[in-house]
Amino acid sequence: MITLTDFMIVSAVLFCTGLYMIVSKQNAIQILIGIELILNAAILNMVAFGKYDRVNNGGQIFALFAIVLAAATTAVALAIILNVYRKYKTIDPGRIDKLRDE
Amino acid sequence: MNNLLPYQDSILITCTIAAVALPLLAALVNFCLPVKSKVAGWVSALAILGSCVLAAKVFAGIWNNHDIHTQQVWFTIGSTKVFAGILLNNLSVLLLLLVSVIALPVHIYSTAYMKHDDRYSRYFTYLSFFCFSMLALVVVDSLVLFYAFWELVGFSSYLLIGFWFTRDKAVQANKKAFIINRIGDIGLLSAIIILFTQYHTFDIVTLFAEKGLISQSVVNNDLWIAPTGTLPVIWQYIACAGIFMAVAAKSAQFPLHTWLPDAMEGPTSVSALIHAATMVAAGVFLLGRVYPMFTQTELTALACIGCFTAFMAATIALTQNDLKRILAYSTISQLGFMILAMGVGAYSSSLFHLATHAFFKCLLFLVAGIVIHQMQHIKDDNNLDIDPQDISLMGGLRKRLPLTFITAVIAGLALIGLPLTSGYLSKDGILIQAFEWSDGKSIWFKIIPLTALLTSWLTAFYVVRLIVKVFFGEFRLLNIVPNIKEHITDGGWQYKLPLILLAVCCLFPLFSINPLSYEHAWLFNGLNISRLTKFESIYNLIIPVAVNVVSLGVMFFAFTIYSKPKTALFPQTGLFYQLSYNQWYFDAIYNRIIIKPILLLCRACFRFDRRIIDGFIHLLAHTSGYIAKLAMWTDRNIVDGFLHLMASIVQSIGNFARKFQNGKVQYYLFSMLLIVLALFILKILI
Repeated sequence: MITLTDFMIVSAVLFCTGLYMIVSKQNAIQILIGIELILNAAILNMVAFGKYDRVNNGGQIFALFAIVLAAATTAVALAIILNVYRKYKTIDPGRIDKLRDE
Repeated sequence: MNNLLPYQDSILITCTIAAVALPLLAALVNFCLPVKSKVAGWVSALAILGSCVLAAKVFAGIWNNHDIHTQQVWFTIGSTKVFAGILLNNLSVLLLLLVSVIALPVHIYSTAYMKHDDRYSRYFTYLSFFCFSMLALVVVDSLVLFYAFWELVGFSSYLLIGFWFTRDKAVQANKKAFIINRIGDIGLLSAIIILFTQYHTFDIVTLFAEKGLISQSVVNNDLWIAPTGTLPVIWQYIACAGIFMAVAAKSAQFPLHTWLPDAMEGPTSVSALIHAATMVAAGVFLLGRVYPMFTQTELTALACIGCFTAFMAATIALTQNDLKRILAYSTISQLGFMILAMGVGAYSSSLFHLATHAFFKCLLFLVAGIVIHQMQHIKDDNNLDIDPQDISLMGGLRKRLPLTFITAVIAGLALIGLPLTSGYLSKDGILIQAFEWSDGKSIWFKIIPLTALLTSWLTAFYVVRLIVKVFFGEFRLLNIVPNIKEHITDGGWQYKLPLILLAVCCLFPLFSINPLSYEHAWLFNGLNISRLTKFESIYNLIIPVAVNVVSLGVMFFAFTIYSKPKTALFPQTGLFYQLSYNQWYFDAIYNRIIIKPILLLCRACFRFDRRIIDGFIHLLAHTSGYIAKLAMWTDRNIVDGFLHLMASIVQSIGNFARKFQNGKVQYYLFSMLLIVLALFILKILI
């Protein structure tokens, strides 16, 4: 029997993995993947908590919206990364420093 | 002011100034010449010749004619005007002429005498400078100027005594002369200050003229009352004592006479000019200038001192063996006579003796110079270790130095005071007036003229001893060192001319037509201030006869004992011999009583300075050093340390904060995460 707690654990593992990737990876795409992982951890939580709203299924629906929005933002992010790559010839966020206050 | 004077007078004043300035000019020229330049001697000699001619002109114009006194404001302090000017009266023109006339032969003599000296032109610089100071000294009318030239005379004497400054004895001698003269200068200066306090003027005419301020002031009830003010009488005594000190130092009177014999370390020509004829006469001249100042008692004291000096110096001269030293003591003795004459009121005789003494003593010194020069030649030619001034080595020089011998005899006879010489006129004048002075006083006052009489016999003795030992008998040096080369002569005309010139001046015709009576001497009458008609006392007959008969006896006695080859006549161990030979132990006494305590005091002061004052200052220095070190340590370690601590704290905080601002997005995120985690952990814990 899969309990809520199991979902929570999976979600937490996903979140932590994503967070670790965001902090430690030196590749913008991997960071984007990390963001996606966090997003999916949140979505998984919503779906898991959706069992308490069996009438409207608000959790599932919100998860759908979130997935759609995630896809959209990922597209935008990928576009940004592509442009960044064009300009800097790298996608290591540590070396992209032209936005910093000089 | 000169324009107001008659034409004749202004000419005379110009002549005087020129006569005084010429030697100064010569001194300046010589000073600029190279040290060995042989021109210097002739520059100086020509200058003094000019002075001599001008002085003679001035003398002819002033003597027994009228006095000239001209002055101008020198400077003004407050309401007091100080005048400077020239005073020409019989006294000053006499000295003016005397100094230049004596200086001329000495200059000529010096050109030969100093010929081989390395600092020939320096010598003439000093000599001309001396002549300038001395000539100026006799003509100035202000006590301040008088004092200035008095000092310059002393200074040039100092330079000339120490002319051969590489000799230790010369250095000691000029130091001694300078210090003793300084003591006298203090006296003169204090006397001038006291006179100014009392009379508010430095002018010699205003002070000492016939109707001057001094003659109007009286001593009454312990007060010294003058038209210009009143002081306690003690100041009058101090002023006179100061003048006396000055006179005693300059004219070598007891107790300040010890410098003169030592001053003979200078070149002999200098001794002849300065330490026999002119500078030492400055003291007598000063007395002549300020004569009205002295009261009867003070004059008596003066007479006692002069008498004692004359006697003492004569006894010392009896036994000395150094040629120049004998002459030096003889000079002291004759100066004592002059002071004695001043003391007994024989003003004109004193100055008369000054004039005659200048000639014959100068001549004797020049003779001594020639003799010493020749002995020095013998010494140098044969590499002998002898003292060229020792008369016990001389003898028989009359055949070798005939002219020197003759002039020496003339000068010696003048010094003894035999008739037909100038010395007879002046010395007998002094003796006669001393006897007249003691008449009508208590019996004790007779001691003074009697001592003077005795002194003149002693003079006869030592003069004969000197002349016999030097010129008669056989050349004793040959006994000691038989095989010496010697070719000694009188020297060139530069030696002979001065001797002849001065020898002529030692004879009576220059001074008096009548060779036997001093009262007919023109010089005596010209200076006689009182112009009293001397009553014909019995002394006028007795004294000259007594003096000369006994003198002749003494001379014969001395001649017989000293012309024998063996000369151990007197026991050389007797008390009197020792006393005389050691110059009455004055130097020893001064050494013990004055010099040693002063040196002890100086050493004590030195030690006090070294040990206590320096020690205290060193202690202070060390203490402040330590305090400074402590302060440095505190500064370095505590104050600086605190500041460094603050700085490093701020720096480390800054460095720590900087890490969060490295511009890396991920790092910001990481930090945020850490902070959120920390918050959560804290929240859980709390």
